[in-house]
Amino acid sequence: MATLEIKDLHAQVEGREILKGVNLAIKQGEVHALMGPNGSGKSTLAYTLLGHPKYKVTSGDILIDGQSIVAFPPDKRAKSGLFLAFQYPVTVPGVTMFSFLRAAYNSVHTDEKNQPPTLFEFRDAMNEKMKLLGVDESFMNRYLNEGFSGGEKKRAEILQLALLKPKFAVLDETDSGLDIDALKTVAEGVSKIAGADLGVLIITHYQRILKYIKPTYVHVLYDGKITASGGEDLSLKLEKEGYGWLKEQTGVVT
Amino acid sequence: MALQPVGAFTEEKVHALSSAFREPDWLTSFRLQSLKDFRSLPLEISPLYTKYTGISNFDPTRFSVDAPTEKVDLRSHYEGYLTGKETNVILQGNSTTIHVDLDETLSKSGLEVLNIHEAIAKEEDLLRSLFQDKLVKSSGEKYAAFNNAFFNAGTFIHVPRGVELKKHPLRKLLLIKNPGTSVVEQTIIYVEESSSLNFLEELYTSASDAPYLVSSVVEVRAHASSHVDASSLQLMDDRATYLVNKEVAAANDSHVNITSILLGSQITRSRLNFDLNGRGANTEGFEVFFCDGSQRFDLESNLLHNSPDTTAALHARGVLKQESQSIFKGMIKIAHNAKNSSSYLAHHAMLLDKGARSDGIPGLDIETNEVKATHSASVAQVDEEQVFYLMARGLSPDEAKKMIVIGFFEPVLSRIPVEMAREGAKFIIEGKWYGERRRLIDRESLMAITGEAPVEVKHGSDVFERHYKYRA
Repeated sequence: MATLEIKDLHAQVEGREILKGVNLAIKQGEVHALMGPNGSGKSTLAYTLLGHPKYKVTSGDILIDGQSIVAFPPDKRAKSGLFLAFQYPVTVPGVTMFSFLRAAYNSVHTDEKNQPPTLFEFRDAMNEKMKLLGVDESFMNRYLNEGFSGGEKKRAEILQLALLKPKFAVLDETDSGLDIDALKTVAEGVSKIAGADLGVLIITHYQRILKYIKPTYVHVLYDGKITASGGEDLSLKLEKEGYGWLKEQTGVVT
Repeated sequence: MALQPVGAFTEEKVHALSSAFREPDWLTSFRLQSLKDFRSLPLEISPLYTKYTGISNFDPTRFSVDAPTEKVDLRSHYEGYLTGKETNVILQGNSTTIHVDLDETLSKSGLEVLNIHEAIAKEEDLLRSLFQDKLVKSSGEKYAAFNNAFFNAGTFIHVPRGVELKKHPLRKLLLIKNPGTSVVEQTIIYVEESSSLNFLEELYTSASDAPYLVSSVVEVRAHASSHVDASSLQLMDDRATYLVNKEVAAANDSHVNITSILLGSQITRSRLNFDLNGRGANTEGFEVFFCDGSQRFDLESNLLHNSPDTTAALHARGVLKQESQSIFKGMIKIAHNAKNSSSYLAHHAMLLDKGARSDGIPGLDIETNEVKATHSASVAQVDEEQVFYLMARGLSPDEAKKMIVIGFFEPVLSRIPVEMAREGAKFIIEGKWYGERRRLIDRESLMAITGEAPVEVKHGSDVFERHYKYRA
């Protein structure tokens, strides 16, 4: 059972320190929810975990199964079993979902002998996951995220998650910009994929997605630090009372 | 040590060429007049472009031009380059010999494919009239004049009235193998009323010990209600200097597609003009270039509307790596009588490295009302957010950029109406990305390699749905 460990992580964006010592450990099979007000560093944490070049780690460490990945480029982190479902998936015009998914699948599932999966293996896996998530076949001929509705973009992210089978998935506000029906579809998709082999970090503003995906733990990120951790009741308290009480508790001036 | 000038572009040289080919006097005079133009013309005629001449400037005296003296044995020349399954191919080895191999359908259709000097001997009146009213005019461009003065190879393709060959691509292969002389060639395509032709030209190098010059003139005369596709794929090695002048004369209700896929050569200087001469003429151009190293690409493409109800579109897209440079110049000209015409001209370039450089200078010259005309141009760096997104899915930085580049070409590649060019272009561009020089291959072999279904053509009607810079 692998663990994703975030140890005293400090990170900067354009010279400004955003993460100020984040500590978190996620085991495969667990679902952690990360909540927090705007500007607390939630998305920064997501990008920093995947190694976005704009986000610089100044101290601390990120480990998967005890191995530090903090010096790895994003592709090597993906191959180490880390996945990020983007809040704003990037459009790549002219690249079909099919060719993109095949390239991603081949990169991540290339075996020790450097042998990528065959086209048939890929097609089988793709058909299975599309069926599981109720994704229409016509999706495959469309350009990556181009002209996708908010719901389609998020479903495409979940399809990638299903196909790439990471050990750990960070869902960065996957619920944002979705109406209730779309949210339900996406959340059900995640539930289908989640299991003993997947550790999930759900970053969200709202409690509503947690109705569909039950978190094992809930954490609050506040001014670049995790200031409270608890069970599902913590998310309910936040929903009811907001983040004001945390401010008093931590004495942080924002 | 200074290079010894080997090319002497003199009257004597013209006479020597002309007599080696036993040409009639009118052609010798035509060559001599062209030589005068070549000597007197500047690199750029338009004052708009004079400051950009550096990019494709070279010393022509480094190259010689002679009548072909070597007898190329095409079988050994092309060894390893043909599968043996090819039909309807014209084979040219350096500047010599055209071997034509037509299948039964084409040979019985009335299609005529001749070496240009055979054509002059056989149909002198027709050829003389074509030279008197030359589409690629010596007075129009310095290296057009050069070609007209010194051409030492050529092909004449004649599709008689009412002969439809759209579904039977005619390929012309030029394979360069240590040419002893510059290859200066003309392809004259003459498609009569209500006929059609699908012509695909490929330029390759198998060996080169020294720098060499290839100059091509391609003329397309599309008569009323005809349909012509003329595509070329230039994949020569980096010792090549490639000059190409293409001119299309589109008559009433004719439809002409020109595709240029430019990947090879050290210097490419391309001039492409669409003359929409007849009412209702419709043309579309696709220019794709991908350069790396210290390659230089100099492209000028013009849409010239000379009649009412004409429609033209030109899509140019390029990607530049390393220290390569490109310039694209393009003008939409709508004459005062060309009412109700539409024109679209676009140049988009992507730079992958800091040392790469690209300029685009589109222009409009419109003398009438009731037209639609738009141009767009952009030069952008590769988008780092796209690279990150793809890398976050496990793609290496190189794979990620390759995917973005192929995607960038896609809107143009997917519109290329010629199946083999459309399907093969992506394969060949990917090859260049990996440093391989690939060749066009048939659909079956291609699918066996890529595992992907071939791309169906996307029809380009939506280009006019965008906003217009100029509408009157």
